[in-house]
Amino acid sequence: MTKSKNPLAKTGAALAGGDWKTRLSCLILGFGQLLRGQFVKGIAYLATEIAFIWYMVSFGGKYLSKFSTLGTVATEKKNRITVYGDNSFLILLFSILTIILIAFFIVLWYLNLQDNYKQQEILKAGGTLPTNKKVLASLLDENFDKTLLALPLTGIFIFTVLPILFMICIAFTNYDKTHQPPTNLFTWVGFENFRNLFSFGSTGIGRTFFSVLGWTLVWAFFATFIDYFLGLLVALLINKKGIKLKKLWRTILVITIAVPQFVSLLYIYKMFANDGLVNAYLMKWGVIANPIQFWVDPMLARITIIVVNIWIGIPYMMLIATGLLMNIPDSLYESAKIDGASPFQMFKSITLPYILFVTGPFLLTQFIGNLNNFNVIYLLTKGQPLSLGMAENAGKTDLLVTWLYKMTVTDTNYKMAAVIGIMVFAVTAITSLIAYNALPSVKDEGGFQ
Amino acid sequence: MKKKVLATLMAGLLAVTMLAGCGGAASSAEEAPAEEKTEETAEESFVSEAVGDDTIKIWVPDAVVDFTKEQAEKFLADSEYSNFKVVVEAVGEGDAAGNMVTDVTAGADIFNFAQDQIARLVSAGALEEVAPDNAEKVKSENDAGAVGAATVGGTLYAYPITSDNGYFLYYDKSVVTDPTSLEQILADCEAAGKNFYFELNSGWYQTAFFFATGAELTYETDDAGNFTTCNASYASPEGLVALKKMVEVGASKAFQNGSSIDQATDVAAIVDGVWDSEPAQAKFGDNYACAKLPSFKGADGKDYQMSGFGGFKLLGVKPQTDENKLAACDALAAYLSSEEVQLARFDLVGWGPSNLNAQQSDAVKANPALAALAEQLAYTIPQGNYPGDYWTLATGLGDDIRTGKLTPSSSDDDLMAALQKFQDTCISYAK
Amino acid sequence: MNKEDKNKNKLSGSNTGSYILLVLISIIWLFPFFGLVMTAFRSYDPKVEYGGMVNYLIPKHFSMDNFRFLFSGQSNFLLWYRNTLIIAIFVAIGNTIMILCVSYALSRMRFKGRELLMRFWLVLGMFPGFLTMICLYFLLKQFGLTQAGAVPGLILISVASSGMGYYVCKGYFDTIPMALDEAAMIDGATRARVFFILTIPMAKPIVIYTALVAFMAPWCDFVFASYVAFGNDKSYNVAVGLQRWVWTNDYQGYFTRFCAGGLLVAIPVTLLFIFLQKYYVEGVTGGAVKG
Repeated sequence: MTKSKNPLAKTGAALAGGDWKTRLSCLILGFGQLLRGQFVKGIAYLATEIAFIWYMVSFGGKYLSKFSTLGTVATEKKNRITVYGDNSFLILLFSILTIILIAFFIVLWYLNLQDNYKQQEILKAGGTLPTNKKVLASLLDENFDKTLLALPLTGIFIFTVLPILFMICIAFTNYDKTHQPPTNLFTWVGFENFRNLFSFGSTGIGRTFFSVLGWTLVWAFFATFIDYFLGLLVALLINKKGIKLKKLWRTILVITIAVPQFVSLLYIYKMFANDGLVNAYLMKWGVIANPIQFWVDPMLARITIIVVNIWIGIPYMMLIATGLLMNIPDSLYESAKIDGASPFQMFKSITLPYILFVTGPFLLTQFIGNLNNFNVIYLLTKGQPLSLGMAENAGKTDLLVTWLYKMTVTDTNYKMAAVIGIMVFAVTAITSLIAYNALPSVKDEGGFQ
Repeated sequence: MKKKVLATLMAGLLAVTMLAGCGGAASSAEEAPAEEKTEETAEESFVSEAVGDDTIKIWVPDAVVDFTKEQAEKFLADSEYSNFKVVVEAVGEGDAAGNMVTDVTAGADIFNFAQDQIARLVSAGALEEVAPDNAEKVKSENDAGAVGAATVGGTLYAYPITSDNGYFLYYDKSVVTDPTSLEQILADCEAAGKNFYFELNSGWYQTAFFFATGAELTYETDDAGNFTTCNASYASPEGLVALKKMVEVGASKAFQNGSSIDQATDVAAIVDGVWDSEPAQAKFGDNYACAKLPSFKGADGKDYQMSGFGGFKLLGVKPQTDENKLAACDALAAYLSSEEVQLARFDLVGWGPSNLNAQQSDAVKANPALAALAEQLAYTIPQGNYPGDYWTLATGLGDDIRTGKLTPSSSDDDLMAALQKFQDTCISYAK
Repeated sequence: MNKEDKNKNKLSGSNTGSYILLVLISIIWLFPFFGLVMTAFRSYDPKVEYGGMVNYLIPKHFSMDNFRFLFSGQSNFLLWYRNTLIIAIFVAIGNTIMILCVSYALSRMRFKGRELLMRFWLVLGMFPGFLTMICLYFLLKQFGLTQAGAVPGLILISVASSGMGYYVCKGYFDTIPMALDEAAMIDGATRARVFFILTIPMAKPIVIYTALVAFMAPWCDFVFASYVAFGNDKSYNVAVGLQRWVWTNDYQGYFTRFCAGGLLVAIPVTLLFIFLQKYYVEGVTGGAVKG
């Protein structure tokens, strides 16, 4: 018998070569296992099939049948009583859930068939099947991975994969403030929202999108690298030989991490406001005559944000760099010293390359984190100042994510929010791909084993 | 029950399928679903105090939570709806509309909101019409502006409770010598090194300038809350005069953007509303004073009295699926907006009533902030419906002044171009 | 000799400069914190002092009014604090368990689809979190875990997806030599036994790090928490509750109370941080190195 890797071919082989027990298992999952005494597996398969059928009949089926239209029954008024019609939102959500479950069921069906066929072959060859007890015990040993991953995977599928698939679908509908369930229906519109994103006319938001995207990239670049190098310098400073009270300096910086950002950033925002502390004292001392428009002038607001972000970012980077500096093998420095290298030379040719190499992946995650750095922007400026030149309420300091947030919460413009979300994904993915190809240390997953 | 079925199924099924899915040879997976099930049920037993059908949920600002609860309970106990319970939550006017739109079914049955949200609420299906039996009474007992604000496309959708959602001038008597002249106020503030607060980047406050010179911006809505027509004349000589003045104010050394006295520092004068009268008194102490908005001298040499919106707070009832509950909500909302309750509310928190009789009461007339507002009311137009985008657009215009894109040295053409763009965008919101 | 002396001089000379720099940095970094403390001790009682924004730093009268207000039950602050603490504790425990499970499976076991799974999660992680907010809200609502049930709801959301944050922990596991596991298994230990008896005790720093990070997050979560709990004061967390005091017009003169509340939030986190700093550094460094 030839062994094929193709699932379809394997299914065919199992159906052709299977005995009646195996073949009946196609309809009644776990049937073959039960007859062969494999009660644990058999019952698990059978229970799943029953649960699946129950789900489809009592719940999933009625949603899935409306998937193509997302509902047609409109909400009505009977006298003054409201009778809600179809809820497009729930139809879409549960349709996707049902589709996922069907896909899993097909996989399960396939595995069940293969398992049956394998058992049949083993028995035919005169072997014995593992006892039920052994099957169970294997879950703590060679199949321990399945036990460990069951719960996390379930959680991720329901609360991450399902919502993401849902929102991707939303990008192809007209779900916005005028199509709001349960009162109103929404439906599929194809690529219209994407056309809107890339249209540069007076009504399209193309120009605004690219302006926000541009600032997002600029911000992420500066926020990442300025913090990185300054944090490194601060770490070097604290870890310098002969500096006392190292722990104190570190703790002082670290306090800023521990104070929740929604408190500290709000305070800083007020501090730099036109009528805030900084301007008030500068004017009191006669340094300036008019308040500096820290948050009002778009350019200045952007610079202020980046500067404030240094305040937030350096403590983290300092901690990381401290750990790294301790890890640099002393022998490297010893030999350099013997060669008569100056401290600066040692930094340039030992410390920096080492740190740059090992922190490659970290820089990438930082960069991506900054692309999506909601807190700093939102708590400081909420994306303001706005401008007549920007569409969809985008502000001059808005990142794509804060813009997305405003669309979701303030404007309930979910369809465009979904489109922007997909764009954020695209930007992140492209950045990662570039970095992945450029940085050697990112690829090296198994290098430490 | 649906919930539980779903919870168990999703958890159980996925666990089983995935277990099998990620391993090659499927082995049994009894454990995982069992674990899941217990976890889900444990989680569910956490949930208590779900709001049932015999509970009326009310959202009002924190200051009147206890008051509203007391009044509502008193009313229900004596009425034919005594089987209903009341839950009152502190949700401010700003959040209420947003929350209602996000999820109508989880929203309050009766909620307090500012009238600029009404069209949005109607189009999202979050507002039930006022019961026909109550409508006539509401229309005759409240001031015309308030009734207009509660009406969308000819249908009355909400119960007015206050007519105080407008703005006027709070000032420091020791600094401001003449509160009737904008130029004098600015000069006094500059001389004293104090600040004049005006929220230039708010569509709500901006109209104080535009409407003063006679520029117009109103919308008409259809019955579903969609905007059908926009009447705008910002891009006009009148609009230009107003914008020039705004730019001039924005360039003053004493000018600060803002309308919340609580967040204001070194303030000598602020355009703000009655909700800030308490902090204003705390801030100004003995020098506390209120007045209608000042007038200003336009670039064309004429004097203009500043105008603006007269605003209102309304009480809305959510669409109901149960006849009895709808009747109870209608009756309760009517009571909470009645003359008696409006007066009691004024006594407690100083909200200026929309009820005509209540407005004539001596206590209301003696309140300095409400007196200033009442004086200003003659120069304002009742705020109609504006699309949500208008407000952010107006912020954009204001920010362009604050950020120096538009300055006193900008040419008339530049200013006119900005106004034209503003007006065109405003018109584009009405489809 | 001569040369060495010179070096020494240079060192001590530059150290003075370093100290000046460090003091300067400390002042800048502590300044907002200092301002926060000062504001927290300014009274909100108009008879004593004004409770809104002011443009001076040191209050004219030090007072405990704000703290008295927070503890007096005039607001739901204590309840919000308790909610957040409950969320933080459960999330810390739940997330740590999830992450340990995933990390061990991915680091120690080789199964079909492992690479695919890791790549799939990487791709999932590239979608912005806010995108799915509305969907998660309605999902939770199906379970009855919004508004009144927001506290368990928030725990569920956080724990359910936490498995994807395995990078740091897996990186740490990778550095524990495989030979140890193998030796134990030759002695007849099952995988599960190795995991519980051998790996987890050896991974103490990373366990503490994971729990610490998970514990800190709920204290700052205001976006999703307010989205899930809206209209139900009793199930707010402390960030949502406090945010309302400064961002909505219904609350006037609450700024000092906001700062005092913020300080109280900072206390547990700061203490934990100071005591567990060592583990945090180890974890965050491990993460940085391994990605």
